[in-house]
Amino acid sequence: MAVRRKLIKERVPTPEVPVEERIKSFVEVNLGYDFASAVKEAERCLQCPVEYAPCIKGCPVHINIPGFISKLVEYRDNPDKAVREALRIIWNDNTLPAVTGRVCPQEDQCEGVCVMGKVGDPINIGKLERFVADYARKHGIEEELLCEFEERCTGELGKVAVVGAGPAGLTAAGELAKMGYKVTIFEALHKPGGVLAYGIPEFRLPKEILDQELAKLKRLGVEIRTDHVVGRTVTIEELLQEYDAVFIGTGAGTPKLLNVPGILLDRIYSANEFLTRVNLMKAYEFPEYDTPIAIGKKTIVIGAGNTAMDAARSALRLGSEVTIAYRRGREDMTARIEEIKHAEEEGVKFEFFLQPVEFIGDENGRVKAVKFEKMRPLDERDARGKRKIVGTGEYVTLEADTVIIAIGLEPNRIITETPGLKTNTNGTLVVDENLMTSIPGVFAGGDAIRGEATVILAMGDGKKAAKAIHEYIQAKRKANA
Amino acid sequence: MPYKILDKKELAMNEVWYKIHAPHVAKKVQPGQFVIVRAFPNGERIPLTPVTWDREEGWITLITFVRGKTTMRMANELKPGDEILNVAGPLGNPAPMEKFGRVLAIGLITGIVEVFPIARAWQEIGNEVTTLHVSPNPMVILREEFEQSVSRHIVEGFDLQPGWGMNEIAQELVKRATAKVRELLENEHFDMVLTVGPAGGQKAIFNVVKEYGIPMHADLHPIMVDATGMCGACRVTVGGEVKFACIDGPGFDAYKVDWDELIHRTGFYAPLERLALEHYLKQLQAQGGEQ
Repeated sequence: MAVRRKLIKERVPTPEVPVEERIKSFVEVNLGYDFASAVKEAERCLQCPVEYAPCIKGCPVHINIPGFISKLVEYRDNPDKAVREALRIIWNDNTLPAVTGRVCPQEDQCEGVCVMGKVGDPINIGKLERFVADYARKHGIEEELLCEFEERCTGELGKVAVVGAGPAGLTAAGELAKMGYKVTIFEALHKPGGVLAYGIPEFRLPKEILDQELAKLKRLGVEIRTDHVVGRTVTIEELLQEYDAVFIGTGAGTPKLLNVPGILLDRIYSANEFLTRVNLMKAYEFPEYDTPIAIGKKTIVIGAGNTAMDAARSALRLGSEVTIAYRRGREDMTARIEEIKHAEEEGVKFEFFLQPVEFIGDENGRVKAVKFEKMRPLDERDARGKRKIVGTGEYVTLEADTVIIAIGLEPNRIITETPGLKTNTNGTLVVDENLMTSIPGVFAGGDAIRGEATVILAMGDGKKAAKAIHEYIQAKRKANA
Repeated sequence: MPYKILDKKELAMNEVWYKIHAPHVAKKVQPGQFVIVRAFPNGERIPLTPVTWDREEGWITLITFVRGKTTMRMANELKPGDEILNVAGPLGNPAPMEKFGRVLAIGLITGIVEVFPIARAWQEIGNEVTTLHVSPNPMVILREEFEQSVSRHIVEGFDLQPGWGMNEIAQELVKRATAKVRELLENEHFDMVLTVGPAGGQKAIFNVVKEYGIPMHADLHPIMVDATGMCGACRVTVGGEVKFACIDGPGFDAYKVDWDELIHRTGFYAPLERLALEHYLKQLQAQGGEQ
């Protein structure tokens, strides 16, 4: 007989490093749950049936969320067993839970549709997922499970090449390996991870966590070849000769720059350059690390997405005063709520309805101020559902000795130069409902087909493409038999 | 994935030659393309140009000018048999392979390294190539290689005077280069000019070439980080548009380049570069003290 449970409206909080301490370093801000608090939070879950649990539908890789949460409650007297069972369920759908638990915009995904959210706080699914992954790693449980999964990864079904080691490619690789394919990932940079490696700072996703998730993929038989720029080092056509199928997950890594006077002044960075120097090259440890970064006392970050928050909070940690300038209003910001909250707590200032029209330099060619036009909102919305804005003809100039531009990204161009690969006018790759491109056997997903989106949508594509690739290869085998 | 150093030697003052096992690059590289090298775990990514390569044996050669911390550390610490952590590439667009006719290809100091594969290929496809190397005498390299590969190789060398710093060398370099280029253009007909070297020197040469109205192809050297088009550190204004040298270049029509802007941006990190070098020299001294 079902036990009628009491609704607990408020979520169990997770501890965070105090502001004054964390702004001096790149340590992870959120400390996550311990077992006792994780169980307490897990108990709040109403255990909606798997067939219609909204949270599962809200998750782009459809993790059996009530399933893994129930294990934490069921085996509450045996933490190791609880975590082992929970992780086994998570891994069936997602091989990178320590990453997704940290960086997903859960409020727009699983947590956004959680039934509990209608009466109180939604279940803290992201933090529970993260807890399971972190605990398993710390207590050797991951190791046990890896051995179990390794047996499934025979590599006997065929060979697949994955282009790009970002969230889409890593997910596709993990899923294909579990199905029994031999997977080789080709990555242009010296370190795999894509945006997880160069874009997302340590204080949100410690690189140690990423490295461990990557090591796990290698255990599952996935080979990663760094320093390979597909389109230059090797072409898609050449990959097709050697592999049964190809997955393109090259992302949207080319920064959009503002087409306004002064864009080439010193200390105007694209957010990608700034974050790559900081995250991938560890420029914040210069000169112990060789890559320099030049940042002044007053930084203006232009844009209000997650990239802008990451850049602003990184600049703050390098000792600068930081202002985010956004052309729309507070409620239009696209960054995660948690990140905006963290940025505010840490002392990032916000200016709204300001559109840059000119970067003003000093006699040495270094930026010293940004001239903005004041904007105002209209009642209309654009095609993407964003509030339209118009200029007021009024201008304001803010001082800044460093500017970071975070207004968005476009797909990488090197890959789209592949002959026969169709692209849309915005540079994204054209794919059918099975994520297959205009070249048979070549599939694509993530930002390469969506333009700039989220880590978890890229992972969802990677998973969907893996399934389609499996079906494609098996159908071809049958046809040739 | 590490890449083995098969051989290494000092060719001239501050000019170090490396032969590196990098089959993925050797198989594909074309004249005009470059690689990104990261030599040490805490190291930076620097662009370098393959000078020669063997597609079958899978090696490339690189020549570095020891000008700062990374190149000095490579010169001091790497031995044949050691491994370089990362060699990514080939990157950038190949130089145009056309029959221009009579070509003058100019390399300033170590810029001559990049001239070599392009000049040789241009000669091979039927151009009559004259190469000009302007450099301090102690840094003259590749003389024989050029003499065997192109129609005519001219070395415009000069001695270093006591007390000269980088500024004096740069001034002398520009003076010599512009005078020699003017002399050549005045007396002979050329259909195309190629330059590789510091932006200031290239600009000075361009100003001469412009007077004669000869087409000019310039390989640019802005600061690079990833060199795959994802950061824009290497942005340059060409024909009024912002271009990324790593994916749109590195070669551009010299007539369309905003030279002053490029010169300015190349010096962006100079103070930090000095700091890095000083930091390294201090480390070396400390190590010396311990021994």
